[in-house]
Amino acid sequence: MRVTSSMMVNSTLRDLSLNLSRLQETQTKMSTGKELTRASVNPGATAAAMGMRQDLRRTDQRMRSLDDANGWLSTADTALTADLTTLGRAKELAVRGANTGGIADPVARQAIGAELRSVRQEMLALANTAYGDRSVFGGTATGPAYDANTGAFLGNTAAVVRDVAPSTTVTVNVTGPSAFGTTGGPAGTVFDVLDRLATAVENGDDAAIATEQTNLAAATSQLGQAATEVGTRAARLADIKERLETDKQTLTTNLSQVEDVDIVDALIRSKAQETSYQATLQVAAKVLPGSLLDYLR
Amino acid sequence: MPTFSSLNTAYSGLSAQRRVLDITAHNVANAATPGYHRQRADLISLGKQPVSGVFTGTSQTYGVDIAGISRSYDGMLAARAMREGATKSATDLTNTTMSTIEGIFPEPTDLGLAHQLDTYWASWTDVANDPGSAAARTQLLENAKTLTDSLHRTAADLQGVKDAAVTRMGVLATEVNDLSRQIADLNRSINATPEGNLDMLDQRDQLMARMSQLTGATSTEQANGEIDVYIAGRNIVSGTITQDVDGTTGTLTWVNGGQPVNPTSGEAAALTATITDIVPRYTTLLDGIASSLVTTVNAAHTVGYDQSGTTGRNFFDPANLTAATISLSADVAGLPANVAAGAPVLPGPTAPGALDGEQARLIARLADSATGPDTKYQQLITGLAVETKSAKNRAEIQDQVAVNAGRDADSVGAVSIDEEMTNLIAAQRGFEANARVLTAVDEMIGYLIERTGLAGR
Repeated sequence: MRVTSSMMVNSTLRDLSLNLSRLQETQTKMSTGKELTRASVNPGATAAAMGMRQDLRRTDQRMRSLDDANGWLSTADTALTADLTTLGRAKELAVRGANTGGIADPVARQAIGAELRSVRQEMLALANTAYGDRSVFGGTATGPAYDANTGAFLGNTAAVVRDVAPSTTVTVNVTGPSAFGTTGGPAGTVFDVLDRLATAVENGDDAAIATEQTNLAAATSQLGQAATEVGTRAARLADIKERLETDKQTLTTNLSQVEDVDIVDALIRSKAQETSYQATLQVAAKVLPGSLLDYLR
Repeated sequence: MPTFSSLNTAYSGLSAQRRVLDITAHNVANAATPGYHRQRADLISLGKQPVSGVFTGTSQTYGVDIAGISRSYDGMLAARAMREGATKSATDLTNTTMSTIEGIFPEPTDLGLAHQLDTYWASWTDVANDPGSAAARTQLLENAKTLTDSLHRTAADLQGVKDAAVTRMGVLATEVNDLSRQIADLNRSINATPEGNLDMLDQRDQLMARMSQLTGATSTEQANGEIDVYIAGRNIVSGTITQDVDGTTGTLTWVNGGQPVNPTSGEAAALTATITDIVPRYTTLLDGIASSLVTTVNAAHTVGYDQSGTTGRNFFDPANLTAATISLSADVAGLPANVAAGAPVLPGPTAPGALDGEQARLIARLADSATGPDTKYQQLITGLAVETKSAKNRAEIQDQVAVNAGRDADSVGAVSIDEEMTNLIAAQRGFEANARVLTAVDEMIGYLIERTGLAGR
């Protein structure tokens, strides 16, 4: 094949240009730290990276929801625990009231009655615990869950649900009726029970006191159940949170492996390409200028 | 045998070698001219040419003559180089277009639509977690607006690619018309001067190569030396008559009759593909994403209840289903309280409590839907990445093919300085030798004239 100087010039220019463009690609990767400078560098890896980024963002969002859920549950837990303690006092008072039922000591009975009523007020106050500006036991209604005087339930029984993991939801609230009983039920709400108990003690009605003590026990166990359930949910959330954090770690590591450039590898490649470029330049300098003219007289 | 015939022979040698020198000088001067094919003098030996003389009648002379000057031109290699060059123009332009479109979708980064979609769905979760908060609702509307703005900008950028291609097609058509007129002019000139038109032939080949790069045009040579140029089977140059094309609408059409040209190769083919296939395809995909977003969110939103217990509100304007037009509906724009976060209570349906966030939670879950906008967007990006990568590969391969074809054609027609120098030496020596012969004959005749017929003087 006949080779002319113009062909050699073109060929050399092309090779230099190719070398330089390869070198530039490697330089860009090193300076941005990203192997996937554009999606077309590796479509498969890009799809994987996009999926991982999406998962990371979702995980972050779920962790925020989870923290919010934890806030709800711990507030409910505190309130219910305090309720149980308070009810314990009411139980003691009921026992003392029964003992003194036979003794016609109206003053002592009135005092116990008054204390029972103040216990009822405390319970009502706890029943209106708020998380932020929402009533914990009120469902999805606005305003306080219970009327502070009558003890009537003002909220609703809707569940407040949080998405904390893919296909995993957690109900973060305890509705008033499920913790404190419903007004229409056999004994009414715990507030009704306390109200009647106080009246019974004040009146010295032993039979009524006994009935209400039974009701009080039932109400206490219902509250206890509610508290246990809240505790279980909180424990489950702690597990989920740990899993989410592990997931986040794994995702971040995997994403880095897919997206980021291996600096050592890139450095070696860049050095090799630089050497190749230098070699091309040297060869071109030796070959291009020569021609027959150098040797003719 | 005529006395002076040897002089003629030597003289023919001298003038032939001088002519060869001229041609060598022409080659060397044009060594770097693009499209130049080296020229050669075709020498033939003259034998027994009849020469008439007054006293000698017909006799013979010898010598050398130049039969003609030829161009080192291989039509087949040149046609192949032109064809591959046309394909290379097309693949290069397609590669550039795909890279431009890829640049419109910066993935995988935090700058692209994927991140904004995720932020949008996340703000629905925030509203679900705190439906009473005006801040969360306002943030949701803000994020929705950012998302729609991004979609508008992306659609506009895609349209910009198409508009640039349309403009370029118009410019291409003007250049093609100009080239065809120049070719027709050269056809006329070449026909008019059968001798010494080799350089015009080179020029015409250059114009033809450019025409081919632009439109994939082919040519056939006629008996009278003119060429007919065809684009996609129809004549654009026929001898000295030209047809015009128009590209201002983005489709290359014949001015006479208005039919589309439908070029199969060259830049015009790539531009046509961009305008009629690539950009519309991606615009449709993007519109599909916008439409999916609007319909899925609206379907869930209209069922939900806002803070005042009203239902049936649209989140996005249901009439605007393309990426360029998607917008928040008048129901919720600037009215965060009208965002329907509450889910209907079944059976009924009846309004839920004022702080219900279930509908917002369901809408946030649309992010994971297998038919939702996020999935569609990922499919768009993957498809785009694959198409861009294969366009790049094709361009690289075609580049190599075109370079090889060009090299083969150059191997025949390019000027080699070494070769020309050798020819120069040969011509020079030939000239010197012929001059020597002239001197020798001159001496012999001189001897005859001066030394004979002097006997007895």
